[in-house]
Amino acid sequence: MAPNNKISKIQELVYEIRVGEVMKKDVFTVSPRTHMSVLRVILKENRFSGAPVIDKGELIGIISIEDFIKWLAGREEDCPISEKMTRNVSTLYTDEPLTNAISKFDQHGFGRLIVIDRYSKKLEGILTKGDIVEGLLKKLEIDYDDEESRRLRIQHFFEDISADKTVLLFQYDVIGHDFKRAGECSSRLKATLKRLGLHPQTTRRVAIATYEAEMNLIIYTDGGHIRVRVEPHEILVRVEDSGPGIPDIEKALQPGYSTAPEWVRELGFGAGMGLNNIRKCASKMDLRSTAGKGTRLGIYVSVEDGAGCEAN
Amino acid sequence: MKLTELVQKLNLSVRSAKGNLEREITGGYASDLLSDVLANGEEGNIWITLQIHQNIIGVASIKDLAGIILVNSREPEPETVDKAEAENIPVMVSELPTFELVGRLYNLGVGGTKE
Amino acid sequence: MILEDIKKILEAEVIVGDELLSRNIKMACGCDLMSDVLSFVKSGSLLLTGLTNPQVVRTAEMADLAAVCFVRGKRPDRETIELAKSKDIPLLMTHLLLFESCGRLHLKGLSGCSENVKQH
Repeated sequence: MAPNNKISKIQELVYEIRVGEVMKKDVFTVSPRTHMSVLRVILKENRFSGAPVIDKGELIGIISIEDFIKWLAGREEDCPISEKMTRNVSTLYTDEPLTNAISKFDQHGFGRLIVIDRYSKKLEGILTKGDIVEGLLKKLEIDYDDEESRRLRIQHFFEDISADKTVLLFQYDVIGHDFKRAGECSSRLKATLKRLGLHPQTTRRVAIATYEAEMNLIIYTDGGHIRVRVEPHEILVRVEDSGPGIPDIEKALQPGYSTAPEWVRELGFGAGMGLNNIRKCASKMDLRSTAGKGTRLGIYVSVEDGAGCEAN
Repeated sequence: MKLTELVQKLNLSVRSAKGNLEREITGGYASDLLSDVLANGEEGNIWITLQIHQNIIGVASIKDLAGIILVNSREPEPETVDKAEAENIPVMVSELPTFELVGRLYNLGVGGTKE
Repeated sequence: MILEDIKKILEAEVIVGDELLSRNIKMACGCDLMSDVLSFVKSGSLLLTGLTNPQVVRTAEMADLAAVCFVRGKRPDRETIELAKSKDIPLLMTHLLLFESCGRLHLKGLSGCSENVKQH
């Protein structure tokens, strides 16, 4: 398969996050004239594994702990860093995505890469594989925190309301025959109920029933509205459209009875189970329809019911 | 394996063509899409589906399938039973869902058809 | 059983969710009718289906399914893939037919979603 199909959340972030966001900015630099014996103290005291070599503000090389070990192993005499450093320094620009850094690490097996500004070529920071991992984790945590804090905010909002009765109302507008976007309203409703901190099984029941109703609006009508009333003890989903209406409600409620065209069946819907499904998820269902005029469907899900059992 | 053995071993209820259960089955095909069965089902296959509409009999007849097993206790529509009798296609009902029923057929040595 | 095991048993390709392969799969169902999936499939299940339209992912989202595996070598379109990514629903694709896929997984001990079936 094509690799571009495999893009996951992490892979997305790897393209999204820039090197400049995760690199270490406080870079300890050394002069080319510093001696290797002095470097030993610097590396040891600061626990560095390498440092850029700067001469007159310009990056001229990098000296790593590997270079230092090689020098030690060779039992050579003390000398300036400039003689032992790596001169061909592989650099990154601050505005490059992390994915470029990762492929550079992969290609050359470097432990660290120097980061410079694309235009001024000035040293901006240093990047290790560890910095990449840390940066990704932080970003994932922030995404997670967003969802958490949103939920907390909404719960506080409820607690702060002082009233004898609190009711929340949402409305979603469904466009008929738009099969591609089918389910968007139910999806948004589900996310909202989740944030409100409703029990997952209650949320699931409301979501499934609303989704079936939304599909009906899309398959059979020119569109309509889904209005949701949330109270602490019950959720009411009201679905309304202005035609064509159901001629025989009794029959429409029979499992397997369907007037859906073949193309809808081939998409996996219209097998005559939708209304049944809604009734199964609901604590109470109320269906009124006038042929040629429209249909009004009320789906009541009580919160106690939902918490106890699976929607089966 | 013959249909009679499946009926007995999997506790199936036969709803039509009770006299046509001696046929040897060539394998199993599971799908709820009529177009898929029309394209890929093979002669002598036993077809496992949720569809109860009378069109399934037409498909089974054209593809010369050995029979149809309806899952999840789904009962065939009256028109489906009439048509099945007329075409002599056995329709059977199982209380199991597709995954479980196919698993048991597989265990009994009924293979899938090759793609 | 985890999703990684399912990938191996079905010789499947991962289309979405390489990082979600450690997800636990409790049960499975093989079905091409979404209302039936919504009606009898338990949350946390794997759905095996021959359909590849975005509504399959919507169904998985609404019913809290753990993953979807497309059978018969059917590859989903871009919209289906994008939707699955945004909802963190792993998508697999196997060249095996639905019958063979159910048979293999059942043989390895995965069970179906039914009140009548004893859970393993």
